[in-house]
Amino acid sequence: MVKFGIEFVPREPYWRIMYYAIQAEKGGFSNLWITDHFNNRNVYVTLTTAAIYTNKITFGPGVTNPYMVNPVFTAQAIATLNELAPGRVALGMGAGDKTTLDTVGVEMDKPLLAVQESIDIIRKIVSGETVAYQGEVFKTAGAKFLFKPRGQIPVYVGAQGPKMLALAGKIGDGVLINACHPKDVEYAVSCVKEGVNAAGKKFSEIDVAAYTSFSVHEDIKKANKAAVPVVSFIVAGSPPQLLERHGIDVKKAEEIKEALKANDWGRAFNGVTPEMIAAFSVCGTPEMCIERIAQLLKSGISQFVVGSPIGANVREAINLISQKIIPTFQT
Amino acid sequence: MDYRKFVDLIPVPKWETLSDKFIDFILTSKNDEKMPSQLANAILYCWQQDTLKSEYGLTALLEGALLLEPEKTLNAFQELQMANIAEQIKESMQS
Repeated sequence: MVKFGIEFVPREPYWRIMYYAIQAEKGGFSNLWITDHFNNRNVYVTLTTAAIYTNKITFGPGVTNPYMVNPVFTAQAIATLNELAPGRVALGMGAGDKTTLDTVGVEMDKPLLAVQESIDIIRKIVSGETVAYQGEVFKTAGAKFLFKPRGQIPVYVGAQGPKMLALAGKIGDGVLINACHPKDVEYAVSCVKEGVNAAGKKFSEIDVAAYTSFSVHEDIKKANKAAVPVVSFIVAGSPPQLLERHGIDVKKAEEIKEALKANDWGRAFNGVTPEMIAAFSVCGTPEMCIERIAQLLKSGISQFVVGSPIGANVREAINLISQKIIPTFQT
Repeated sequence: MDYRKFVDLIPVPKWETLSDKFIDFILTSKNDEKMPSQLANAILYCWQQDTLKSEYGLTALLEGALLLEPEKTLNAFQELQMANIAEQIKESMQS
């Protein structure tokens, strides 16, 4: 049975995110993912609050990266969370966002290796080992916790490109696929399977999630309106090959990018077409979203994550998902 | 302000509707900075325990809604034929 996850960005105050987190837990979501960007509120403080205000939902950073946060610190944070909410913690680890890393002058050096080595270090130290690690990106000289960690924590690899997706399949307990369209998710799953096969694992052993930009409303116009700002940023950050795969005019995407750079939101948002919304979000009435999720499930995903914006009114959107969408996939 | 006093004036059948409206005002407000953390924690605790429609929960929500969205909150009382309570709250806010 497919699991439903939900993502929140801690740009919002903690109490608003926690209200929605409690609502999501009551409404049948199984996973809560909190994004990690230095310019928002701290991910681990937010997750600690989630540990206190929720009882059964699994939660974790979705995703952190090894450049801004050293792997031993990430290990310490998740191991401590796992004391607060045993068995409910998951770690999402990716290479990070180049634009954000550039802002703070951190180089995204050897992303595949950085992700692989950081996960290696985290798993070792979380299992209580003394870690002397000589990687190409990370080195530790006898790092060890002075407390007894409560055991392993599942690691999900956030991935979009084919090599990272294959690595995710190879080393991850789960994968967070950053895609919304069935064509993209299907391709991503095939890459994940390559990694799974290379590692001699079974595909069913890992939790494969489609991490989507999502917007639901009974009124399709309102659903679309909420999706437009997020889609404009996705379009602006997408490589030409991806845009062409969806029949999106690269020139139009360039215009949106220029408008966003100039903080001309009106021009940027007006440039977003229905094709762009269809390619880069799961958006529409509950019935339309159900249809799209059903298509995505055919590619083999086991978790569907609803991400920003979720809906024009987040509380109403979570209610719609809980009452109309999740039950459809539980029968 | 004695928020409990005003909640006690509200007919019990209207508690659920008001609770729902106040939650919406708080969650959609742009005045985040006006929410005291102690009050936010009380509201979250009630939500976790499913007691936002109780006297204690509604009192916390009324306080939050009045701090973040006073105009909308007073209008809600008027819409629900409780203009007298809105007036009393207004007077209390001005004193």
